Amino acid sequence: MPWGLHTKDTPGNGRVMIVDDEDNVRKVLRLSLTKAGYDVVEAQHGGEGIEAIGSDDNMLMLDVILCDIRMPKVNGLEAITFFQQQYPSVPIIVVTGYPDQKMATDLLSSGVFDYLVKPVDKDKLLATVAAAMEKRLELRHDI
Amino acid sequence: MNDAPSTLRVIIVGAGKGGTALLKLFTHSPDVEIVGVVDLNPEAPGLRLARNLGVRAASDALAFIADDRADLIVDVTGDPAMRSLLLQHKPPRAEIMGGTSALLLWKLAQHEQNLRAQLIHTEKLASIGTLASGIAHEINNPLYTITGLSEHLQDETRLEVIREYIEEILTAGRRIADIVRSLNAFARRTQEEKVCEIDLDYTLDEAVKMAHRATVLDQVQVVTQYDADLLVRGKPDELLQVFVNLVTNAVQSMEGCGTLTLSTADNDDFVQVTVRDSGPGIPHNNLNRIFDPFFTTKEQGKGTGLGLHIVRDIVTNHGGQITAESTLGQGATFTVKLPASPQSA
Repeated sequence: MPWGLHTKDTPGNGRVMIVDDEDNVRKVLRLSLTKAGYDVVEAQHGGEGIEAIGSDDNMLMLDVILCDIRMPKVNGLEAITFFQQQYPSVPIIVVTGYPDQKMATDLLSSGVFDYLVKPVDKDKLLATVAAAMEKRLELRHDI
Repeated sequence: MNDAPSTLRVIIVGAGKGGTALLKLFTHSPDVEIVGVVDLNPEAPGLRLARNLGVRAASDALAFIADDRADLIVDVTGDPAMRSLLLQHKPPRAEIMGGTSALLLWKLAQHEQNLRAQLIHTEKLASIGTLASGIAHEINNPLYTITGLSEHLQDETRLEVIREYIEEILTAGRRIADIVRSLNAFARRTQEEKVCEIDLDYTLDEAVKMAHRATVLDQVQVVTQYDADLLVRGKPDELLQVFVNLVTNAVQSMEGCGTLTLSTADNDDFVQVTVRDSGPGIPHNNLNRIFDPFFTTKEQGKGTGLGLHIVRDIVTNHGGQITAESTLGQGATFTVKLPASPQSA
């Protein structure tokens, strides 16, 4: 069993990658998630997130990805497209400062798990991540 | 009026408030040519504006009153001595409009100026609409720092961690206050604004900050090439609106990806600002129309078609000029020339 690939039998609640260019946003998300028992990996922009995942031969194991949209270098939309191709079974939750209905609809119909607008209530964040974890376990089960 | 000339050539006599208002009105009027502006006071504001606009200006009443190209002499001085001087020296076919009729024309010019000021304000508020999503993003990020860290403060007991969170919350709060302040400064009504010395670098940097909010996927590289310490005289909010509009257009044309180059240069009496983008460029046919009112290539709801028209209005009212150049596939360059402030370094 690769490390970090969460199942019902592994300890901890699973591993989440946070992709956001704002240090404080990552900090708030990290605090909420680590206190709730998740293992957290951070990336400052899409490019770093893609790099963190690694190549096909040596992929980092993840359960859920939290991804911002507006970021320098590789933006969220580009990164999400990559994640969806590389990690079709990892739910992606968008956490953005943009309350943009069209973008939300487009992303949700492209298979993104949820679209949260900052500031996100901590309980709402944890409930969404927990639901995404459930989904991940279901997907794992199907494979 | 069948024999009325297609272009009306006018001399304005009096370059105080009334004459200046008429000068601005006629400058925007397509079929009116201003032959010259006269005022016995060499310091009259309208004379300075006329010179900046490339219109003849004189403090000697007889300098060009006898110019036989003039169809009409508008005398807003209300001075009986001036009236008799004009009657004596005017070219035979020129009419004189003075007294109450000139006053009426002045009132109409003032009314037109008020309408223009309202239009400028309306367009500015409309442009804030296009910045709304970027503004939300800029505010929501620090807001999340505030709400998120506050939630964690509730169950935090370590004093040094509490202090660290509070410091970060304060910084985030100040960042939001800054954003709100710059928006307020941009949105306020500028009708009564006083003319003063304006630092161009600061105005351009502010414009870039505002325009940064106009794009969601921001991968624009901003290059600045400022000739140091250039000052212009004008209305700060109106000139900010000019550059916010030019920079926003540039960023939008590049669809959030490319290079924006802002440069300033000292050209003797004029200060030149260029805003260059690396977008797709403007087709030749559109280049002649971009300053026309209601001309827009943006999709419905994305632009009023008044932005560049108002930009040109503001620049002209400052005694300046704006031009656009573009080659398809090689971006577009807007050049604004403004009269240099006498205090410019």
